[in-house]
Amino acid sequence: MTATGQALSYLDQQMPGETGEKARSRLVAILMRREVQLLVALLLMSGIVDVLRPQFLSSSNISFMLAGSVVIMVVATGQTMVIITRGIDLSVAPMLGIAAIAIGFPAQNHNLNIFVALVLVILIGIALGVGNGLLVTVAGIPPIIATLATLSVYGGLQFVFTSGLTVISLPHDYIAVGLEDIVPGIPWLLLIGVGIVIVAELFLKFTPWGRAIYAVGNNADAAYRAGIPVRRTLFMTYIICGLLSGIGGFVYLCYIGSASSTTGTDTNVNLISIAATLIGGTSLLGGRGRPIGAALGAVFLSVADTAIVVLRILPIWEPAGAGVLILLAVVTDRQSGPATRRALRTRHHAEVAA
Amino acid sequence: MSATATEGVASPTKLQGVSYVGTSLTKSFDGAVVLNDATVTFEPGEIHSIVGENGAGKSTLVKILSGIYQPDSGTLVLGGERLIGLHPHNAQQRGIYLVPQEPSLMESLSVTENLFVGILRRRRFPFLVDWRPMRREASGYLERVGLDIDPEMRADELSVAQQQLVECARALVHRCQVLFFDEPTSPLTAHEADTLFDVMRNLRDSGFTLGFISHRLDEVLAISDRLTVLRDGKIVMRETRDQFARPAVVSAMVGREIVTRVRERGEQDLTANKEMLAVTNLTLEPYFRDISFVLREGEILGLGGLVGSGRTEIAETIYGLRSAERGRVEVEGVALAHRTPRDCVDAGLIYLPEDRGRHGIFAEVEVTRNVTAGVIHRLPRRGPLLRPAAERRMAEEATKTTAVRMPTIDALMKTLSGGNQQRSMLARWLLAEPKVAIFDEPTRGVDIGAKDDIWTLVIKLAHEGLACLLISSELTELTMICDRVLAIYEGSVVGELTGDDITDARLGAMVVGPVAR
Amino acid sequence: MSANPGGTVSAGTPVDLSANRRGRASIDQVWVWVLVVLLGLELLYFSLTSTGFWGGGSGMLSASSEFLDVSVMALGLALVIFAGEIDLSIGAMASLSGIVMAQLWHVEGLNIWLATLITLVMAAGLGALNGFIITKFGIGSLLVTLATQFIFSSVATAVSGESPPYGFPKAFLTITGTGSIGPIPADLIIFAVLALFIGLLVSRTRYGRSLVLVGHNRPAARYSGVNVSRTLIWAFIGSAVFAAIAGIMIAGVYNAVRDDVGIPLLLPSVTIVVLGGVDIFGGKGRISGVIIASIIIGYVSVGLLDGGSTPLTVTMVQGIVLIVGLIIKISLDRRGGVAFRDALARFFARQHLGKATVSSDV
Repeated sequence: MTATGQALSYLDQQMPGETGEKARSRLVAILMRREVQLLVALLLMSGIVDVLRPQFLSSSNISFMLAGSVVIMVVATGQTMVIITRGIDLSVAPMLGIAAIAIGFPAQNHNLNIFVALVLVILIGIALGVGNGLLVTVAGIPPIIATLATLSVYGGLQFVFTSGLTVISLPHDYIAVGLEDIVPGIPWLLLIGVGIVIVAELFLKFTPWGRAIYAVGNNADAAYRAGIPVRRTLFMTYIICGLLSGIGGFVYLCYIGSASSTTGTDTNVNLISIAATLIGGTSLLGGRGRPIGAALGAVFLSVADTAIVVLRILPIWEPAGAGVLILLAVVTDRQSGPATRRALRTRHHAEVAA
Repeated sequence: MSATATEGVASPTKLQGVSYVGTSLTKSFDGAVVLNDATVTFEPGEIHSIVGENGAGKSTLVKILSGIYQPDSGTLVLGGERLIGLHPHNAQQRGIYLVPQEPSLMESLSVTENLFVGILRRRRFPFLVDWRPMRREASGYLERVGLDIDPEMRADELSVAQQQLVECARALVHRCQVLFFDEPTSPLTAHEADTLFDVMRNLRDSGFTLGFISHRLDEVLAISDRLTVLRDGKIVMRETRDQFARPAVVSAMVGREIVTRVRERGEQDLTANKEMLAVTNLTLEPYFRDISFVLREGEILGLGGLVGSGRTEIAETIYGLRSAERGRVEVEGVALAHRTPRDCVDAGLIYLPEDRGRHGIFAEVEVTRNVTAGVIHRLPRRGPLLRPAAERRMAEEATKTTAVRMPTIDALMKTLSGGNQQRSMLARWLLAEPKVAIFDEPTRGVDIGAKDDIWTLVIKLAHEGLACLLISSELTELTMICDRVLAIYEGSVVGELTGDDITDARLGAMVVGPVAR
Repeated sequence: MSANPGGTVSAGTPVDLSANRRGRASIDQVWVWVLVVLLGLELLYFSLTSTGFWGGGSGMLSASSEFLDVSVMALGLALVIFAGEIDLSIGAMASLSGIVMAQLWHVEGLNIWLATLITLVMAAGLGALNGFIITKFGIGSLLVTLATQFIFSSVATAVSGESPPYGFPKAFLTITGTGSIGPIPADLIIFAVLALFIGLLVSRTRYGRSLVLVGHNRPAARYSGVNVSRTLIWAFIGSAVFAAIAGIMIAGVYNAVRDDVGIPLLLPSVTIVVLGGVDIFGGKGRISGVIIASIIIGYVSVGLLDGGSTPLTVTMVQGIVLIVGLIIKISLDRRGGVAFRDALARFFARQHLGKATVSSDV
């Protein structure tokens, strides 16, 4: 028997059997979680607005708000993963836009099959995500700068591809997906959104690649020494973000029914996706965060958005509101412990090569 | 395989063990040879220490042994098999684990996940991560290193000492039989270090192959079975436990005979001297409470204590980096309330921090600017504009006073050795024309030549009137140059020694706890 | 990994004066020269391909009015980036400033110069607000300025109302927009003065020293007695005021104000600063690089626009220029100043992760 084999059997023998789970104050732990707090805030806000404007929580309005949140829900899921790795993706808006127009025109002019369209946006999103991934992992450009650059490059491409034209009419099945409900109050789009969030949660919690994302975001150097392919993991993260932005484009197209050269940027997808992610409990310093938090954040923002309209607050204040919410989210981030303080001091990013 | 199922975790069965041999390892950086034809052997069931001063090459050696550096020439043989292409990302898979000086865990993740990062247990199909077996096994591994904690705790909820033990446990999880410990006791208190040593002995007795890298001779002599001394990149001595003799080892490390220095200061009656620094009832829970002392012109007052006893926090509070809960600080009779570091420097009080790399130097900045960093508001200028030539001359004079060795004064700080960086720090603060100076572990990480220089310089400055507060964990340092020493234990003053009463023995007894009545 | 300690290990080894030991200062200088070369190439290209480029009235010099607003903004942003932070709110600040000034002049009937002054004071106040939130609450500047960008933007839209004022007094237009002294446009003079100011500020004043040290190693700066909070707040005041000046210059050039003129200027400003060699993590870089980079980027946009491209295309090209420039610069950085050819070669070779060494101790 080799030395290694002996060591293995020796160590296996030493491990005791079941060790009892230590008791924990489960309820308190649950209540402290950001996702729960967000859900409570969401319900509170909806309740209050409904009291002020009784039709707020009608099934058609709930459907409206939920459907409206799905675009951001999908994009923010990708953004969450990127931010967990201590990066950021400022190019999600044009990635969404390019995907939307890339299927929008064929759908309008040539009746592109809706399933083919879905496959196409995924491929386009992946391709665009590859661009970001290359800049960050191969060229070693810090994510904020890299995606700021691709923001402009992809934005320009989006314009070039549309030649200034706009998609204005879509075949019936796209519109149906966008506007119809499964049951009153629950739109079909929500199915897509929730499905993606569930898949993302499972991916992050139960696959080695998902856990690698957390590992890299926490301590890229230790992850490297543990044998995790750091570069590949980061690359994958940006691809996933691109992919999800592409799907976001599909959702956007179905929901809004049109697309143009400024789709994505004109609705502040960048800011809102980051806002949803941060409100949902992900920290810009990396290492933690969950898609479900981002999803709740997206719903929260959608409800808040509608509330602003319903309460007759001028829409020009929407971006300001998002800004304030971001600040609040960060200030109330109770989970920041010694790790955050240390990280605040060192301020390193997941550098691919020193 | 001789394992017996009845034996418990505490006294486990012996491994067969592997030996790890590095032969004729050589490494150069930029033309300078840092490791020269070094051959070392690590046998199972032994703690083999590598000692040497900073710059001797021991850090390079252990990095080659764990794959962080690739040797220019030489071979590595593990368990009889030659290792080719050893890199950090495959070292653990091959059974070699480096416990770093500062533990490097994944802060937001659970201890369980930290243990299993990289080798997460999976279900057979569909290749998903299976958390249950990992949680079960984690407790076992943690017990093995003496950690009684809930494995689902987040890593950042642990103390540094606990995190280090988790690193040890990780080595076990990865089935590594060769463990290297790189200066592991630096961030630990004495008690925590003892715990670590217990774990190391335990592992040794189980047949693991352990390497221990340190420049702390007392620890090394206490725990090693074998030691190897490096100097200037070459192996100069190999000894086994029965041969250990401290003076011989020190000579080997330093390359010359070291005469044990006697107290240099002699009796000094300083009670008539002016009070330069008066600290009264300074308190900041939980770090320290009711600290009071007076420091006079020309006096060297030592603050002795173990790592973690609160002395650095006291210094940082005096210097204005932390806000005290209560208490007073007066410099030359003038009370400094709501101090900032700048207020202190203006009043003549300077602080040389313990963590040079993080709090002291600007690595990517030239020496000139590093040296003038403390007196920016006093730099020579014409109107609002600075005069770089005059500034450069200032810096040159200061670095000459403290004998900084550097290629040019425009060289980047990071290219200087630790000792020269410390000399540069001294130069910086001398430019501030201080009346009171707080030195926090001034000779840490500094080679013996520079240590000597720094001590000489401090004594000279005191002679010229500088009031010095010297914080040190090295008893010898305190014994040799201080006029008075205060012993600090867990945030309180527990004793005071003056003049010839200051001995290693007495001081050593005081710092480990209040005197038993 | 640039694991190359340079300290002498054995007493007999002669001191090694390789480029790496000369170090960072020379890399920064090399980069400035690279930029000069790039600028030269660009000017050459434009003089060959577009007629009248060097001509008098509508030529190269006067064309600079079209991009100098961004250049001014970049100068202010450079302060913040030197300190290791970022200010995403400068675009919104520019729009807001233009509108506030216009409203003060039009609605309140103030003298336009007084309106300008008040606007600059407001900008300083808002910049201080940014700085205060960042230093007091310890929230990263990325987040804070991302949020304030949108808050300022909303305020700008609100204040501008249905139809914002236009048609400013001739004197104002001449000085801030369309005037010139001989062949040199007024805006260029403004930029030159401001560039000189910032250049001297960063390299030759006590504040500049503190700023750069804060960018290099914030804790060490604090331990050295630098008032880090105050230094940062002033940096954000600087970026806000310069953004306001840019906004006012735009009002002068176009004789109108809008609530959305500023936002698209953010990317080119960041591009200019980063391309100019200022390290995004703080400390390293030269203002001279920023100045040259601003001219490079400026003429890229002017040249393209004159050639018939749309603003979106211009932004796209700027993004590409940023990417290419960064790739070259990062590969230079990694090799610590070794010859460019070597750098390219080594860039394509395998790289390892690791931490940069702080001292040369082995």
